[in-house]
Amino acid sequence: MNSLRVFVSSAVFSFRAQFDWLNPSMWLTMKFVLSFSQMAFFVFVGVFSGGGPALVSFIAIGNALQALSWNTVFSVIQITGHDKWDGTLPLVLATPASRLPLFVGRAMIHMFDGLVSVAISLFFAAFVFGVNLTHADALALAVTVLLTAFTMAGFGLLIGGFSFHFRNPIVFANIFTFVLLIFCGVNFPVQALPQLAQPVSYAFPLTYGINAARQAINGASLLTISPTLALELATGIVSIAIGYLLFESFERTARKTGKMEAQ
Amino acid sequence: MPKTLRVVQSAFRMAMLHWMADPQWVIPNIIAPFVFTIVALTLFKGSSGPFGLYAVLGGGMMGMWGNTIYSSGFAIELEKWQGTLETVMAAPSKLIDIITGRSISNALFGLTNMIAVLIVGTVVFRITLDIVDPILFTVSLILTLLSVSALGLIFASAFVLSRSAQTLTNGLETPLYIISGSMFPIALLPFWTYPAAYVLGPTWGIDAIRLATSQDYASQTFWQGMGTNTALFMDLTVMILITLAYAVIAAALFKMVERRARIKGTLIQA
Repeated sequence: MNSLRVFVSSAVFSFRAQFDWLNPSMWLTMKFVLSFSQMAFFVFVGVFSGGGPALVSFIAIGNALQALSWNTVFSVIQITGHDKWDGTLPLVLATPASRLPLFVGRAMIHMFDGLVSVAISLFFAAFVFGVNLTHADALALAVTVLLTAFTMAGFGLLIGGFSFHFRNPIVFANIFTFVLLIFCGVNFPVQALPQLAQPVSYAFPLTYGINAARQAINGASLLTISPTLALELATGIVSIAIGYLLFESFERTARKTGKMEAQ
Repeated sequence: MPKTLRVVQSAFRMAMLHWMADPQWVIPNIIAPFVFTIVALTLFKGSSGPFGLYAVLGGGMMGMWGNTIYSSGFAIELEKWQGTLETVMAAPSKLIDIITGRSISNALFGLTNMIAVLIVGTVVFRITLDIVDPILFTVSLILTLLSVSALGLIFASAFVLSRSAQTLTNGLETPLYIISGSMFPIALLPFWTYPAAYVLGPTWGIDAIRLATSQDYASQTFWQGMGTNTALFMDLTVMILITLAYAVIAAALFKMVERRARIKGTLIQA
């Protein structure tokens, strides 16, 4: 019960805390402008390269799912940075609260925020860029999006845990939000990458999520895409576990050396 | 040395020192243009035509853009966080002179971003850029740099007033890449976006840079039917006029922002 309370309060505070630097009207602007403009940019590049409706659809769906990463990767890593800048990190580490719900809870609320981003992006994909959603298996698509949000929040925790060991986590937030555009099959298939780089793609949960979403939009059932979703879930859980271990190792080092914000 | 120049030079030096003290901050500024260029080059793979020219020069241009927009927003935000904005405002020097110095330093870093993208494009992706006219290429690049800096001044004045400068920066970055046709011809965009493209100096700058780089581009310039040099001259003339307009607007905005901040006393809460 106590763990649940820590989980919920950590989630709520984490979401509210972001409005310290982001006002609600700007949050809405970001939700609509950022997702639309990124999708539009790559769609225009795709059209310029000579791609037809199939490529437009490929790019629009990829970017719709990638919109999640602004919430689940960028925002989650930012929590680490803000804890350091705002001087709240020593207080967080001084609490007797169980670390796992505290650590995981702060990321999970951003998962729901990410779902809103995907819904808005899919709206743009369908009504602005003409992606045909009429054959989509709604259940398969909904489960895919939900699972991708969860696993990407896990990935955000992994990078967030890693970033604790550095002074400016925002640098990692930028790097890892953008490299997903290269490795996860967002704008082109993973097979278009050099062969050496392709295994890297499968370390990111988003790669599986985008693949499954494309299949679900083409009408594949939940059962058909379940092997892909199982792999996605596995990468997500591994990410959370490694992220948590990194967070614990940071806490241990910080207590030993007394260097919390300075690292 | 005239007072204005002295202030600009000091602000420029301070911005450089800040950057050297913590160079990792350059990563958030350049990561998007780098990634966007790699994605574009991968999408253009196998297509015939001047795609490499668009991707590499466009990516370089975005590097310059991104750095200026990001730095203009973040420099003010950082002053707010560190509590030094009041001191800057209280100094007898004009705010616009201080921001001009910073803006030039940001644009200069932007130029290094552009060079870095060009190197990656040519070395890693083996894109051949045989610059037809190196002198006109350099002139176009420098004038574009100044135009981006002048636009950065207008953004900076808005950032003084906005509490969400960093967020605004993130929101503005990609729409500006699209509207200015950094990586594809603006003819692909809906016609109602053209006026916005035409009032952006870098839209004309990238056209001039492409003209100075490749003769194949002459058929795609805004000034089709004119000779390459005439078209390039037209691009640069329009860009210079727009840049002058930016400078006048920025000066007026900074005057207004300074007055408003002093009267309302809400600089940090803004």
